[in-house]
Amino acid sequence: MAIDSGTWINVGFYIYVSIAFAILALGFNLQWGYTGLFNAGIAGFFLIGAYTAAFAITPPTPPSIGYPGHLGGFSLPLPVGAVLAMVASGAVAALVALPTVRLRADYLAIATLAFAEVLRIFAINLESITAGTIGIPGLPAPVEFNPPDAFLNATVKVAVSAALILVLLLVLYFMAESPWGRVLRAIREDEEATMALGKNTFQYKLQAFALGGALMGLAGWLFVITLNYIEPTGSSAATTLGFAPAVTFSVWVMVIVGGAGNLRGSVVGAFVIYGFQWLSVQLKDLAPTELKEGIPYLRLMIVGVLLIVLIIYRPEGILRERKRVLR
Amino acid sequence: MAVIFLTFLAGLAALFGISILQYTLAGFRLSSIVIVAAIGLTVIYGIRGFANFAYGDLMTLGAYVALFVNMNLALSLIWGAIVSFLALAVVGILLEVLIFSRLEGRGPVPPIVASVGVGLIIQNGINWGGTTQQWIFRIPAVTEIPIVPGIGFHWIRDFGTFVVGIVFVVSVHILLTYTNLGKAMRATADNLELAKATGINTKRVTYAAWALSCSFASTAGILLGLIGVLSPTMGFNVILLIFAAVIVGGIGSPYGAVLGGLVIGLSQEMSVPLLIWLERPDVLHLEHSTAYKVAIPFIVMIGVLIFRPWGIAGRPPAFARRVFFMERLTQVLGRRGDATEPVQGEGGG
Amino acid sequence: MNQTAGHPILSVQDIHKAFGGISAVDGCSLSVAPQSVTGLIGPNGAGKSTLFNIIAGLYRPDDGSILFNDTRIDGLPPYEIVHLGLSKTWQIPHELRNMTVLENLVLGAKQNSGEHLLNLFIRPQGVRRDEQRWRARARDVLKLTQLEGLANEHAKSLSGGQKKLLELARVLMTDPALVLLDEPVAGVNPTLAASLMDLIEKLRLEGRTFFLIEHDMNVVMNRCDRVIVMHQGRTIADGTPASVKANPVVIESYLGG
Repeated sequence: MAIDSGTWINVGFYIYVSIAFAILALGFNLQWGYTGLFNAGIAGFFLIGAYTAAFAITPPTPPSIGYPGHLGGFSLPLPVGAVLAMVASGAVAALVALPTVRLRADYLAIATLAFAEVLRIFAINLESITAGTIGIPGLPAPVEFNPPDAFLNATVKVAVSAALILVLLLVLYFMAESPWGRVLRAIREDEEATMALGKNTFQYKLQAFALGGALMGLAGWLFVITLNYIEPTGSSAATTLGFAPAVTFSVWVMVIVGGAGNLRGSVVGAFVIYGFQWLSVQLKDLAPTELKEGIPYLRLMIVGVLLIVLIIYRPEGILRERKRVLR
Repeated sequence: MAVIFLTFLAGLAALFGISILQYTLAGFRLSSIVIVAAIGLTVIYGIRGFANFAYGDLMTLGAYVALFVNMNLALSLIWGAIVSFLALAVVGILLEVLIFSRLEGRGPVPPIVASVGVGLIIQNGINWGGTTQQWIFRIPAVTEIPIVPGIGFHWIRDFGTFVVGIVFVVSVHILLTYTNLGKAMRATADNLELAKATGINTKRVTYAAWALSCSFASTAGILLGLIGVLSPTMGFNVILLIFAAVIVGGIGSPYGAVLGGLVIGLSQEMSVPLLIWLERPDVLHLEHSTAYKVAIPFIVMIGVLIFRPWGIAGRPPAFARRVFFMERLTQVLGRRGDATEPVQGEGGG
Repeated sequence: MNQTAGHPILSVQDIHKAFGGISAVDGCSLSVAPQSVTGLIGPNGAGKSTLFNIIAGLYRPDDGSILFNDTRIDGLPPYEIVHLGLSKTWQIPHELRNMTVLENLVLGAKQNSGEHLLNLFIRPQGVRRDEQRWRARARDVLKLTQLEGLANEHAKSLSGGQKKLLELARVLMTDPALVLLDEPVAGVNPTLAASLMDLIEKLRLEGRTFFLIEHDMNVVMNRCDRVIVMHQGRTIADGTPASVKANPVVIESYLGG
């Protein structure tokens, strides 16, 4: 059976972008679903990972007329870029966590949102480092085919992403269902009671937040090697592919849909929510002309409605968290 | 008060040159807007106990309603402001009835999530309404009054904003201090259970709070539109500033909102000369330095969150477990190796 | 553990704590003898629960000091105090509602290597061993508190009395030398209350000390070695149940309030 090359490239795009979102969702689930830390700055950690990877793996592009230049260009191998992205995001997350995890949930949300926005302002304006809104060119794909073959390219990207998410799920499952993960869940349930049981909750919250941040950085790496472009504003204010707050809010929906504390649920949630957005783009041509321009906005409005409906009626998610029966 | 204020201005002018007054003016103007918005936000924060992330978009909505009246109905902006004020009050009550009353008692996070949803709907609804272009209010053309060469004082944009700001602050003060409703609102914000127990109709108070909050949002949005242009994200762009003002001033305190608004507005605008200085090649050569001025209030807010999270007008919480960063830091730094050694000074007194 | 006869295991010295201008604990001093069952009584608002929270490290005292086994514990964070051997139950049970009873208990383990992230990867055998050991111990404690059948039920599905038992079971998992019990039998039916107190007596004979707040005078008079009375934030009486019962100051405080 021959798959039409164009369709495969399209579907492949859907798959590997969903996986990038799934990794973001896993990171947020670790922070909020397991530990109760409501991070409203997901886009910020995503941005750090993406730019760190970009600096690391691209060839140098010196400044010239009309191009401000950017930091790095070390042409490092892709896996090194991944590690660096995780380390950078994780370290920044730890720093951000130090003063904020002790705060009430809403303060944490405001502080992290502010953090992400400040980061975005820097990314847009520090042109000599990030090349501003023009973006960094030359982002390499996992395998460069010669002559360039979009079909094979898509296949490789899907394979890399799929392998990555499988490994991540295994590792995270191991960590989250361990005694360590149990302490995190206890903190989410009742932090005072957990302290009274002899746990240093501050340390656990710090670890969960930093690890979640590292995962978001990894998602950033995957994003740039599959999409092969990076720039800080996204193609429009309504986009969810970028580093604007809309990304953060979309990830919230994915984790709420998938269920807090449910790792597989986060992946499913990502595929569902992004799937809906991807579908709306695909079906755009079928829509009546009056609706056509409104589609990106309608999408986000539906995300908004979902958030409201879910949080009122099904806050624990559509996929439930399982009861842990210990033997 | 006025004397102190004028001396302060004169001092600044003497130190930094007369051009600094331009930034001070801009700072006060921004402060007026932030104060009106922050009062609205802090009232809901105090009574309903959550951070309304849709507030910026409510401001935008207010501005657009006024625009509609101004443009499509060809009425003066004053009418637009009045219609908007009333319309948003209704919107606020609807939000409470339909959404937020169902989230009572669920903690601070669910209402935040719901408010993000509301914000998304408003913002994208406006976007979709085909108004992605930028609009300006139609106001009578007025020439600026030059105070000093290079600094102009626009009757409507500058003076009008101040006046509105002051009127609103005074009105809130009168409401809270002298009316029964105001006193009921203060009691409810202080302690919901106690207020209910003493017979206050907290439901009515909550509706009043929502109406006030959203109406103030509409006015702040209109003011914002006056000093610049209207765009669908105009409110969302400033929401963090408003949060910063509320946090700096102390959540739930309208007086804190005034102080917080002043701090935020002034710090943002008066950082511009500093940033311009940083752009010079011999200092930091920071390009687009003035674009960073919006980051200054956030830095102030983060500082407040670290050292005094309850803000200027707030009260520190009773529980030791909400030990904020500084106490934890002191503990870590002052830790002895062996827990059985007697402690000197720290903690016990 | 340092247990010379007569030397108190807990010594509270002149503790002060005010909340927004209202003084909850106002120069309170008392001491608890090791291996005793000591009661703390007083009219509502006397500051008893507040004092317990201060001792357990959940509130910081404004002034004064607290010695546990001759170690100063005021100002220490709760988890350190638990590690030193002092644990507290909650007046309203703080069970971890969406976790099973067994999970609730296992979390009380003081040294479970699996709770440290690094150990998961570098010492997997040790982690597995510790986990098995603690689960076994948890089951023993469940037997002791007669909650065996409920091991894999969500804590939120327990009845009020069972939640109280769970509170006690959890605290026992932390292997405490001194247990602060905040109204352990309040709202519990008399049969269950009796078996709870029997259990406490049994544990006391094994070397643990119990300091409890109670309003149930039956329990206080029949089960406590000594009774301390608090009123308006300070101690007003301290002695055997009989002497306290007859003490006019004590009677006055309950009537006058």
